Amino acid sequence: MQSVTQDWPGTARRALSGSVLLVAGLVMLLICWSYPVGNLTQMGPGYIPRVVGFLICALAVAIIAIDVATPEAAQAGRMHPRGLIFVSTAILLFAGLIDIAGLVPSMFLAVVVSMFADDEARPLPVLVYACLATLGGWLLFLVALELPIPAFWR
Amino acid sequence: MIDQFLLGLSVVLQPEILMYAFIGVFIGQLIGVLPGIGAITAISLLLPVTFYLDATTSMIMLAGIYYGSQYGGSIASILLNLPGTPSSVVTCLEGYPLAQRSRAGLALFVAACSSFVGGIVGVAILVLAAIPMTIIALRFGAPEYAMLVILGLLAASLIGTGSQIRSFAMVLLGIALGLVGADATTGYYRFVAMPEMADGISLVSLAMGLFGVSEIIRNASRRSPPGPALSITMRDVLPTRAEARSLVLPIVRGSGIGSFFGALPGTGAAIASFMAYAMERRFSRTPEKFGKGHLPGLAAPESANNAAAQTGFIPTLTLGIPGDAVMALIIGALILNGIIPGPRLAVDQPELFWGVIASFFVGNIILLLINIPLIKLWVLLLRVPYQKLYPVIIVMICVGVYSHRTSVTDVVLTLAFGVLGYLMKNYRFEPAPVMLGFVLGPLLEDNFRRTMLLYGGDFTIFLTRPISAMLVACSAVLIAFAVWSGVSAMRKPVHSTP
Amino acid sequence: MFKKLLAALPLTLALALPAAAQDSFPDHSLRIVHGFGAGGNADTVSRILAEEMSKGLGQPVVVESRPGAGGTVASGYVTKQDPDGYTMQLMVGGHAVAAALYNQLPYESVDDYTFISTLGQFPFFIAARAGEYESINALIEAAKAAPGTLKIGHSGVGSTQHLTGELLDLRTGAKFIHVPYKGGAAASTALMGGEVDVIIDTGTVIRGQAEAGVYDILAATSENRWPDSPDVPTVSETVSPGFDVVSWTAIGMPADVPDDIAERIRGEVHKALELPEVQEKIGDLGAKAGGSSGEELKALIEGQIAVWTDVIDSAGIDKR
Repeated sequence: MQSVTQDWPGTARRALSGSVLLVAGLVMLLICWSYPVGNLTQMGPGYIPRVVGFLICALAVAIIAIDVATPEAAQAGRMHPRGLIFVSTAILLFAGLIDIAGLVPSMFLAVVVSMFADDEARPLPVLVYACLATLGGWLLFLVALELPIPAFWR
Repeated sequence: MIDQFLLGLSVVLQPEILMYAFIGVFIGQLIGVLPGIGAITAISLLLPVTFYLDATTSMIMLAGIYYGSQYGGSIASILLNLPGTPSSVVTCLEGYPLAQRSRAGLALFVAACSSFVGGIVGVAILVLAAIPMTIIALRFGAPEYAMLVILGLLAASLIGTGSQIRSFAMVLLGIALGLVGADATTGYYRFVAMPEMADGISLVSLAMGLFGVSEIIRNASRRSPPGPALSITMRDVLPTRAEARSLVLPIVRGSGIGSFFGALPGTGAAIASFMAYAMERRFSRTPEKFGKGHLPGLAAPESANNAAAQTGFIPTLTLGIPGDAVMALIIGALILNGIIPGPRLAVDQPELFWGVIASFFVGNIILLLINIPLIKLWVLLLRVPYQKLYPVIIVMICVGVYSHRTSVTDVVLTLAFGVLGYLMKNYRFEPAPVMLGFVLGPLLEDNFRRTMLLYGGDFTIFLTRPISAMLVACSAVLIAFAVWSGVSAMRKPVHSTP
Repeated sequence: MFKKLLAALPLTLALALPAAAQDSFPDHSLRIVHGFGAGGNADTVSRILAEEMSKGLGQPVVVESRPGAGGTVASGYVTKQDPDGYTMQLMVGGHAVAAALYNQLPYESVDDYTFISTLGQFPFFIAARAGEYESINALIEAAKAAPGTLKIGHSGVGSTQHLTGELLDLRTGAKFIHVPYKGGAAASTALMGGEVDVIIDTGTVIRGQAEAGVYDILAATSENRWPDSPDVPTVSETVSPGFDVVSWTAIGMPADVPDDIAERIRGEVHKALELPEVQEKIGDLGAKAGGSSGEELKALIEGQIAVWTDVIDSAGIDKR
């Protein structure tokens, strides 16, 4: 991942972050274009979004200009693909399971999966630790705080 | 005033009430440490208990939870980069880098002490100047709020460690995120992709994502923990004489800013801590140290947000108007005890009114006393290898965010913001201005549009009302400063970035 | 646990733990879902009720907050749950407003429910700064004399408070500027600070200021004078005969709950409402506690949906 970013032609790479912001601003303008604008006294819901959208685009252009002009400053940071993948999966699993399976299974799976973001994780210690963490979570959230979330599917 | 305060003290120092004050601040602090589970959850959990207590005791306990959780929030921000409230976002900026440099103990100590001073100053203002502050607060109408927010946002664009143009772009991104949901003036749905987003993006998921999750993604696969091994002798916790001296003025300024902004009903504490931070940075002789664990940058906003947490009770106690959701809960508890809060509270219920105020004083002392020994314990937490810590943090974030609104969408959005925050940092965009834009944007739009509605689209209203005009002048000075420093930076050769 | 620990402290009455279960329903915990923030009035009422009901049902009753889109997120959620009697919803007056205000709702406002009982009803009050208007008649006269100048602060577009103001416009022919605030407290601050001339809100927002002599309460919006403020004239008896706005809280369940279970729950709700401390607490929140049959609740909601649909169409408020 890291090497890929650095193989890009220099100018395009430096303009990347500003361009993404520019696209975000344009998408925002596109969506809010249909909102009623109203007038100054009775502003519609679209008035401020348009102003903000325009400003974001303008600043994005300025940022691209600056980034392209100052080569050494525009170095992107290192990527962490393993962390990105496993942390994302863990949180998505939690989100997908919490309403169906309840708190305990969701916590357990989230811990197990997220632990594999560390490339030296081994299955057995992970399982033991996940059990302990789940127990702790159950004690904290359900016993101590009495959060209104079912432990298992009711 | 002093006599009445003594009356209040005599109420609080009864053993039973003192015990509830202790329980309140203690539970508040513990729960404040948990990411995403803030004062609101804690207070609504304990609300049924207050049915069995008298009004003074329940109010003292609930208020204790509130300002106790402010302390707790700072702990999570410093140790783990997990801000539970907008005001603790600023704490992350300097506190977390300190913890990464193995100076977590020092950071916690400074935070506790500045919080304490801020809290005490706040209480003093509450005792001595509640009524004049109320009068000033009532002068703040829609035009004043609009201008105040603009001033705050301008100050925020000075916060980032990078270029001001990037910071300002991030403020705007925050405002854009704040636009999601039903428009406050017309109820029109904007950028609502699914019904769960109709009430907007949750502050908790944005803060936990941008700060907490993004940091975990970055560090989860990193093997050796950053920095040398931790030692926790008392000497590492205490600041040096020179450091202590450098903190006096920031704490004083922070307490002053916090006391003033806290009294305004609305988003006082958040504006206060950002303003305090921006001001320290602006007037510091070493602005380049900010963002890397600079103590004055930690002390000023910490004292500001705790001062604001105390003066935030001014509108609640003198007018019966809740400044935020937590205050509304506390007022709700009063009402359930058959007391209708309002201007007559101080006259009709002097023991309650002054007892509660005195309890803030006592509560802050209790907090300081339980915090200093706890510092060692918290620092021990950092000895746990990060590989064991982060899965638990992920679960805590997930449960906290989910329980906040019982919403799965919020959990997914937290992840989205986590990835966004991670990528932003990789491309030198700061997350803190996004938070401020997000918090203040809706306030700005709301009050600007209301001003236009109330005064028929007349822009001169901002200049003809005295307080508003003053705020406009401050903003102009800030802009002038920024332009001036920009120009002088350009004149300098190469290495200073714009 | 914190709750129980605290309850065990000296000088605190013990929180009564649920008695042992007796019959098959309910055999596990029940829940009351509501669509508002933790700690709001809806949340408080739910918690008061949950505590009493759990004593009678012998099972814990959990309060669950699912805020969003004026409570419609919670309604969408509850109507999709099993009608097994374990899921209840705390409904508020906003339910009828939402039915009129939203173009599309993820549920049917009447047909998707088994209506259990009302919990309480409350009127709104119209208040101005002390000494500014002698009576509601004087206010309406002034508003008519200078159309489009007097400002009513309300607690948000599409709130019952807002629609009540619009209804006042419609019925009296006055023309106010309706200024939205975020919640009643913010509107009240604006009235104190002189930014608006009048506010319409619940007794909890207004009464404290009125007792302190800051506000004059000009009128109540219920058709007849409200029992706990008999001196306050009504809009109906002064400027607009027949004017009647009363908001309410109630308990509903998903459609097709078996009759015996619905009856059991209704019985528990009514039993809780008879307790003096429950009445007192609901009274403190500005409402008059009172149960009803399922049919009465259904009729109340249907009637209000009709009124608000009319107001929203006539006032030209954008539907969502």
